[in-house]
Amino acid sequence: MAYEITPYLVLASGAAIASGLGALLRGFGGYRSAARISDTSGSRVSSLAAGEVRLSGVVEAAEVTLISPLQSASCVYYRASVRQSERNNARDVFEEERAVGFRLRDETGTIRVFPRGARWDVPPKLDASTGMFGEEPAGLMYRFGPAIAPGPEDREAQVAALLAVHQPETSGGIGGDTLGMTLTSGAAHRRYVERRIEPGEIVTIIGQALPFDQLDDPTFASLGGSTFDPVAALDDPEIAADLAEARASGVLAADTASAWGNAAIPGFGIGRPTSVPVLDPRAARPTVASAADAARNRELFEIAPEELVLASTGEMPLFIAFGTPVQAAGREQGQFLLGLLGAVLAIAGAIGLALILNNGFTITVNGVPIS
Amino acid sequence: MSPVGVAALFAIGLALFIVLYIVYATYNDVVALRQRIDKAWANVDVALKQRWDELPNLVEAVRDVMAFEQEVVTEVARLRAAYSPTASIPAQAAVSEATSGALRQLFAVVERYPSLKSQTNVLDLQNEIERLEGIIADRRELYNDQVYRYNTRIAQVPAVYLAGLFGWQPRPFFAALPSEVARPDITLATE
Repeated sequence: MAYEITPYLVLASGAAIASGLGALLRGFGGYRSAARISDTSGSRVSSLAAGEVRLSGVVEAAEVTLISPLQSASCVYYRASVRQSERNNARDVFEEERAVGFRLRDETGTIRVFPRGARWDVPPKLDASTGMFGEEPAGLMYRFGPAIAPGPEDREAQVAALLAVHQPETSGGIGGDTLGMTLTSGAAHRRYVERRIEPGEIVTIIGQALPFDQLDDPTFASLGGSTFDPVAALDDPEIAADLAEARASGVLAADTASAWGNAAIPGFGIGRPTSVPVLDPRAARPTVASAADAARNRELFEIAPEELVLASTGEMPLFIAFGTPVQAAGREQGQFLLGLLGAVLAIAGAIGLALILNNGFTITVNGVPIS
Repeated sequence: MSPVGVAALFAIGLALFIVLYIVYATYNDVVALRQRIDKAWANVDVALKQRWDELPNLVEAVRDVMAFEQEVVTEVARLRAAYSPTASIPAQAAVSEATSGALRQLFAVVERYPSLKSQTNVLDLQNEIERLEGIIADRRELYNDQVYRYNTRIAQVPAVYLAGLFGWQPRPFFAALPSEVARPDITLATE
């Protein structure tokens, strides 16, 4: 007996095998990460020794923070994407991942974290789609302006900001242009996903603690994410040649003081320089920072060479996971279980395909048997 | 081979692949755990050595002033001499705990000598040794936690099946054995 079936069934079986195997491979990654989290004992910042460590604590902003693109939240890491689908066509119209250096605080102290090259495990804070009539989801608040903002304000400013009553902001309808997206209106359906880590949230980090002066590249270690790779840009022979030419001709200055003038003075940008700037006599002269303020600025902007920091190395990239170690390990174990389900799906797909291809079934296309 | 046979082979192969992967990952995990224990112990050892280096300075600084509590000073010196980095971990733990106890006694006595309390070098030494005591305590906790994770892992499925094959044995905690808690078997040595 022969049954007429469409080739779609064969394709569905093939898709089940492929997606099942893909899920299994991701599950293996989750298995390794869960084991790494569970098998590494948690250290404390105050008694940290160089080498592989697992630290868990609260994120504190360092010199700068990021503004997330879809919800305008202050954060130290984000990965945002907008996927637009229309009829049978789906594509990412916006995708951005960025990170900046931050501090991790536990009950014994703080340590600097340089996120360059890190692997992140962060669940989405926003995962929403446009409504039935194309209306944008609640909670969407596009970023207007730069992606980088100054770091933490002093205590008084933070208290004032906390006590102030803010007018609720609305998302507006021109955010797409601001983010450089090409969003078409009408029947397009969009899915917005944003993952981020904000100051004050708990993270678990596994990686290498090493003295600051042993960082491969301290200049760019604070910049993470896949969207912008400054080191790769410098490796570009054309850019390197341009830089060398600029240095040779004197266009590019040798040090920060000669390049930036007063801006190279710590605290100048916030109106509290640590030394007297050179100014036009008619300009208002800022007050030179007190010793306490200067010390705070130094603490913010300067890191002693022997100070232990967390950073990726050639052998060991940082792994930064949102939440406590138990939460992070739980997510990774969930990934492994999904992987096992993927294996079951792949096996089911293979059995289905075998049954289709077996003698009892015949595939026909436009009524013509092809088996 | 019929398509059903191929599918059955695929299913068996995939199941076997998963099992082999878990065995491979477990082996690597246990090796990594052993490395972490060794590193954690090396970090404890470094802190013990730093404390050992600081003790003569402290003893020297307080010996002459503390006329009536010489036995406390002598006890610290005696325990310092008993430190041996090649001894077993429980034996080292016993000496370390006894040293910490003797130092606590010594600092309590120092509190009764205003002339000592006012000396900057004694205060600095006290602060440094207290800092090292804190580091030793934290790193001991880290080491013991790492040993706990390793001992638990090799007692669980699937590592328990590999433990016999590869000779994995439980590691000792950094803690004095009950027999050594009262007073470690230490002979007085002079430098």
